[in-house]
Amino acid sequence: MLVDLSHFLSVLSTTLFLLTSTLVLVLDCNKKHSSILIKRAFSHAFILLFFSFAIYVYLAATDDFSVVYISQHSNSMLPTFYKVTSIWSAHEGSMFLWILFLSAWGFVFNLNKDSNLKIKNFAIGIVSIIIVGFQLFLLITSNPFETNLPFSPANGADINPVLQDPALAIHPPFLYLGYVGFVIPFAYGLAFLLNGNAGINWEKVVRSWSVSAWIFLTIGICLGSWWAYYELGWGGYWFWDPVENVALMPWLAATAFVHSLSVASKSKSLRIWTLLLSIIVFSLSLFGAFIVRSGIIDSIHSFANDPQRGMYLLVFIGIILFSSLWLFTSRFDLLTSKTKIKSFSKESFISLNNIFFGVLIFATMMGITYPLIYELAYDQKISVGAPFYNAIYAPVTVLASIILIISIESKWGRSFKKIQKFNQLNLSLALSLVAAISLYFYANNGSVIIYISAFVGFLLLIRYLILLVFNTFQKKHINISSMLAHMGLGMLILSVSANSIFSSERVFNMYPNDIKTYRNISISFDDLQLINNSNHDSIRAVFKVVDSNGKSSLLYPEKRKYFVRGQITSETAIKATPLKDIYITIGDQLDNKSWVVNVQLNYFIRYVWLSAIMMALSGLIIVISSYRSKS
Amino acid sequence: MKQILKILVFLVPFCIFAFFYTYLSKDNSYPGADYRVFEIPSFALTELYTETELSNEDLSGNFLINVWASWCITCRVEHGFLEKLSNNGIRIVGLNYKDERSDAIDWLKKYRDPYELVIHDFNGSLALDMGVTGAPETFLISNGKVIAHYRGEVNQMIWEDVFIRVIKDSEIIL
Amino acid sequence: MIKIALSFLFIFSTNLYSEAYYEFDDIENEARFYNLIKEIRCPKCTSGSLASSNAPVSEDLKKAISQMIADGKSDTEIKNYISDRFGKDTLYDTPVEPNTYVLWYSPFIFLILCLIVFFIRERAK
Repeated sequence: MLVDLSHFLSVLSTTLFLLTSTLVLVLDCNKKHSSILIKRAFSHAFILLFFSFAIYVYLAATDDFSVVYISQHSNSMLPTFYKVTSIWSAHEGSMFLWILFLSAWGFVFNLNKDSNLKIKNFAIGIVSIIIVGFQLFLLITSNPFETNLPFSPANGADINPVLQDPALAIHPPFLYLGYVGFVIPFAYGLAFLLNGNAGINWEKVVRSWSVSAWIFLTIGICLGSWWAYYELGWGGYWFWDPVENVALMPWLAATAFVHSLSVASKSKSLRIWTLLLSIIVFSLSLFGAFIVRSGIIDSIHSFANDPQRGMYLLVFIGIILFSSLWLFTSRFDLLTSKTKIKSFSKESFISLNNIFFGVLIFATMMGITYPLIYELAYDQKISVGAPFYNAIYAPVTVLASIILIISIESKWGRSFKKIQKFNQLNLSLALSLVAAISLYFYANNGSVIIYISAFVGFLLLIRYLILLVFNTFQKKHINISSMLAHMGLGMLILSVSANSIFSSERVFNMYPNDIKTYRNISISFDDLQLINNSNHDSIRAVFKVVDSNGKSSLLYPEKRKYFVRGQITSETAIKATPLKDIYITIGDQLDNKSWVVNVQLNYFIRYVWLSAIMMALSGLIIVISSYRSKS
Repeated sequence: MKQILKILVFLVPFCIFAFFYTYLSKDNSYPGADYRVFEIPSFALTELYTETELSNEDLSGNFLINVWASWCITCRVEHGFLEKLSNNGIRIVGLNYKDERSDAIDWLKKYRDPYELVIHDFNGSLALDMGVTGAPETFLISNGKVIAHYRGEVNQMIWEDVFIRVIKDSEIIL
Repeated sequence: MIKIALSFLFIFSTNLYSEAYYEFDDIENEARFYNLIKEIRCPKCTSGSLASSNAPVSEDLKKAISQMIADGKSDTEIKNYISDRFGKDTLYDTPVEPNTYVLWYSPFIFLILCLIVFFIRERAK
């Protein structure tokens, strides 16, 4: 049976990873031949795991329902693409993918040439041990290889129709690649501590690896937000759901980390922060896995799991975290720098920045755990949602952005006393103020803090644009990635604010052939069709929408009924224009045969995701330029 | 300064871990149970069979209110246990939730009627006022007040762990 | 001029509201409705607001909320109505009360403490 082969390969790879870490312990890691041995052991372990997963993919694609997990999450009526992606739609399979990616990062990193053989081997050893821990977790508590034999169901249970979506299918892989990618700086940083030579610039080695992982995490979170927007039907793009928050925390820590890395790799300062952050980022990734899989948090995202698995993960993560923290505190002196950071230098601004990120992480952690604390203390349930997170994120982001603007002219290694480019800053401030105030008078809707945020968003965009223009004309150096990323931040702040200010919605009662007008847009209910598909039936409405500038388009919202589970879903229809999205969903049909039609106008929402893309691109620039400078 | 950082670096994660460990080890008693006490909201509905008007004044003493409907599959499962309670002399008032009168009457004919009387709440207005999210749900009433509310099917285990406990604690006689 | 435009909007919009599924007598009340349903948790769902849920009890609550707005109830009264019946955890807008001071104020205290430490160290240089 193929599933047994897959299982066997996984077990074999576990023993090989264990062997790798043993080799690291017993061999002299300085020697080249030890290095070759360790490298080979790790590579072979990875290849075995890869084939194990590949066979599993084959089993899913060919409807092998004798495998319990595949029978629970896939169905022969699914398109092949979704049969494969159903592997990571629940706990056991997604854990398998997680482990595959963990070892894949290790494998690629292993191929890298590194003059520091000892540190590299230690790092591989640490990665191996972590992989073994997760593999044992998988094989013992969450075995994806269990079979239904001697019975084999004729067909599987259908997966939740809401999961049959391309964006949702690739959202977990991107996210996982991001989360587990941080094992590289984590392991390498610890290996550096173990090795004990303060002269080694480990930060420079891990920089492009960390930025790559950060890029994946950014895109993964962006995909999740975009998917939620067009699929879930209520027009929101971020809900502050606990599981969204546990993805956000590692991202915040990772952003702080890559900033610290740029400092530490250039000058030898901020090393303590940087190493601590590498531990924090990876720990938060693991913490996220724990929260989602332990069943502790109520969320539509969480995998249905038992506290026992949660306990295993908690203890495992505890061991990783506390042993790395112990190493960190005991080798503290390795990290202290001789040179103090000058006040108002770029380094000092970046360390101030770390405080802002720290506060956001703290607040998010507080928001996630407070309902649990409250329940334990007062035996009552409360919820923590958008109002709390907005109240914290808005002022902190505004403050951090202002500090960022001030820091633009700061220099590496020396303080600035006076803001040199007075003209540029003045011009930016003036333009942004004009923009923000015009916005206020035009919209006349929303609280003051939103307009302050919009002002800061404008300021970030305009300041960097002006910097770009001036520096191009004066033929001065421009740090493109920093500019792009921070403009991305400005874009994010501005579009979130504008979306909040301008968006609106209304629910209508419409009969076929009705025409309604909403905010200068005409919406006519042109047709109602009945469509049969392979795994669902659908009622599809046709709406003709004529925008205020006269352009007309057709929108096709649907109500679908899926056969296997009898689930009814609503498919949204969206018309994207440069300024806004026209977003229609149909609700129930009332007794009088009219339909409930929900029309939303979501302004500037595409720019939220554009900002994520800008940030991801800025990371790509860093990775490419560092690759170029190496070769 | 360094000493403080070193201590903090261990203390903060330790607190978080200790908390989650405690939380995971805690025995999670029934999430569907709610013990908040509140007055039965005033209502003006009709009886299921006779269509006579009913209001709060028609309900007195200690009894259960069971929210059910003919479209609710779990209610069929729960029905056998309700019959047993009713046979043991426990008064159960039915709250027929978002159901056609004829469907409900047919259902009771088919499966037998364990209820002392049945309130027909076609729009679910009383149900909404009582915090009902679906069927089946069961309320324990004493002197015009709700003293226990369970969301979900009541069986022997839940009856003992949730309701009997409250009955004993408040020393009422059902 | 502005007054004329605004009154035109008002007349125009009153017509629209009566054809809308949820009936409101002005734009502010309509906006209140949509804000409320985003901040009230669906009592039946694992997580999610009333806005994102089409469960029967969510639909009933939305109708009840639009009715309460039309009856002139304030946001606080509406939230109290729902939390009294369905539990305090239906409010995503966590109340600021002694039991939740830790939640609301600790991030700011943490920020201030960190900034104080940072600037003390800067001074020391």
